[in-house]
Amino acid sequence: MRREQTLADRITGSALWRSFVRHGYPDTQRNQALIIASNVFLHIHPVKIKRYATKVTYTFCLGGLSFFMFLVLTMTGILLMFYYIPSSTQAYQSMLDIQSSVTFGQLMRNMHRWAAQGMVISVFLHMARVFYTGSYKPPREFNWVVGVLLLVVTFLLSFSGYLLPWDQLAYWAITVGTNIGGAAPIIGPQVNKILLGDFQIAQSTLIRFYTLHVIFLPLAAAFLMAVHFWRIRKDGGISGPL
Amino acid sequence: MAELAERPGLPAPTPGSIDEAKRQKLLELVRGRALARPTDLAEDEVMVWPSLVVVEAVSAVVFTAILFALSVLVNGPLLDRANPNQTPNPSKAPWYFLNLQELLLHMDAGLAGVIVPTVALVAIAAIPYFDRSPLGVGILGTSSKGRRIIAFATVYSIVVVVGMILVDEKIGRGTQFGIGSYMMDHWGATEFMTGVILSTIIMLIPIFILVGIVKAIFRPTRREIIIALFTGFFVTYWVLTMFGTSFRGHGQDLTWPWNLPLTHG
Ligand code: HEM
Repeated sequence: MRREQTLADRITGSALWRSFVRHGYPDTQRNQALIIASNVFLHIHPVKIKRYATKVTYTFCLGGLSFFMFLVLTMTGILLMFYYIPSSTQAYQSMLDIQSSVTFGQLMRNMHRWAAQGMVISVFLHMARVFYTGSYKPPREFNWVVGVLLLVVTFLLSFSGYLLPWDQLAYWAITVGTNIGGAAPIIGPQVNKILLGDFQIAQSTLIRFYTLHVIFLPLAAAFLMAVHFWRIRKDGGISGPL
Repeated sequence: MAELAERPGLPAPTPGSIDEAKRQKLLELVRGRALARPTDLAEDEVMVWPSLVVVEAVSAVVFTAILFALSVLVNGPLLDRANPNQTPNPSKAPWYFLNLQELLLHMDAGLAGVIVPTVALVAIAAIPYFDRSPLGVGILGTSSKGRRIIAFATVYSIVVVVGMILVDEKIGRGTQFGIGSYMMDHWGATEFMTGVILSTIIMLIPIFILVGIVKAIFRPTRREIIIALFTGFFVTYWVLTMFGTSFRGHGQDLTWPWNLPLTHG
């Protein structure tokens, strides 16, 4: 006996639907495999993994969370870019505008700021998790090194963003920070000059930090993450007990 | 044999006269389906959909909810417009660099701000090239001995770092416990000899003592010595950060957190 066609059946049976969803409902192993393999985003995963790799108390989700915060930061960051003006005379005013007259502006700014702090913490703790489970051991040495670079980029992303509000907090924190860099033996003065583009923090500094913050460093991070995730797959998935 | 077809990675126990490719083709013929269908699960395996995807989805939702709640409740700080002529006291770097700023109070700026962090990062990156034994992978702290070493190194580092900061503060901040200033006054030592060389020695001594004690008590493997050192780094990072964020007030003098003006966040 033929079952009556429901609306859902019609939709999922239509040519339009089937043109972009190429698997049935994932309640069979076959469809569960297809859903992972045929979706560009899910395809970051293998189709099946070791049971221990799904245990939350092994990874504490820290790597995934770091990545997720990066995504949140990218999205809220783009929204902020619509309003923020990287000019030493207008930056502070645009911050005030974002907080007081842009719809959900204050919320976007807060989410961006707290996620940025959260990402520094979670990347750091992720490193500790990887260390304490011995997950850097061969064949994962190289991915550990990529991770250390990601840690550095994460610090730099946070640091370059710190100047943008152009308030007292930003200005003096970056003064202290760039002075620390300027204390480097031999190359210190040059480092300081390159970072600031001037003898003190000025418009040239702001545009340098802005460019680093909104395009160069995010691209560098995305590039390194691509390598990082690819290496996890190539090294046989995440580590586990022998 | 069925087991073999499902796990193509395994070596064939008895290849016999038929070569591997042919054997697999034959198997395929016999069983009437493709080799190694992606859905053939071994005992210790699960499907990513749903087993892993569900964990990711739930943690993403939980995390978003927490971030959202925090952002509704607490505003990010925005002080007065930047004013180059008005230096706040104290001026502080972003919190995750305050550990370096704390070091800066006690030694040469180049040593504290550049050399120490560079050496630390390079040393961390080099760990896998020193510790190559696969023993203990996937076990938090490697073993119960490893976990005891973590506990010991944690307590040791807290006591030593807090102790050193307080003693240096008491004797005279940046005088290398008075030794540096004595060398300058009596032997004509330069800033370089005290702020860089002597300070480096002062930092290395507790590290060697840590390794010495761990060696004496625990008879550690190389991995376990590295665990002690990494723990020392990790704890020191956070203890110094705590000092920088919460205990440094006017003129970078030690104060209680509740007496601090808002200078970081
Ligand atoms: C932006 C920063 C980073 C992101 C987004 C990231 C992301 C991830 C993710 C999603 C995983 C999968 C397992 C897990 O969640 O724990 C992972 C694993 C790993 N990460 Fe990271 N990571 C970052 C930084 C780091 C750092 C700083 C290190 C070390 C210094 C590191 C070293 C590793 C290694 C060795 C693995 C493999 C672990 C295993 O096999 O158990 N990563 N990372």
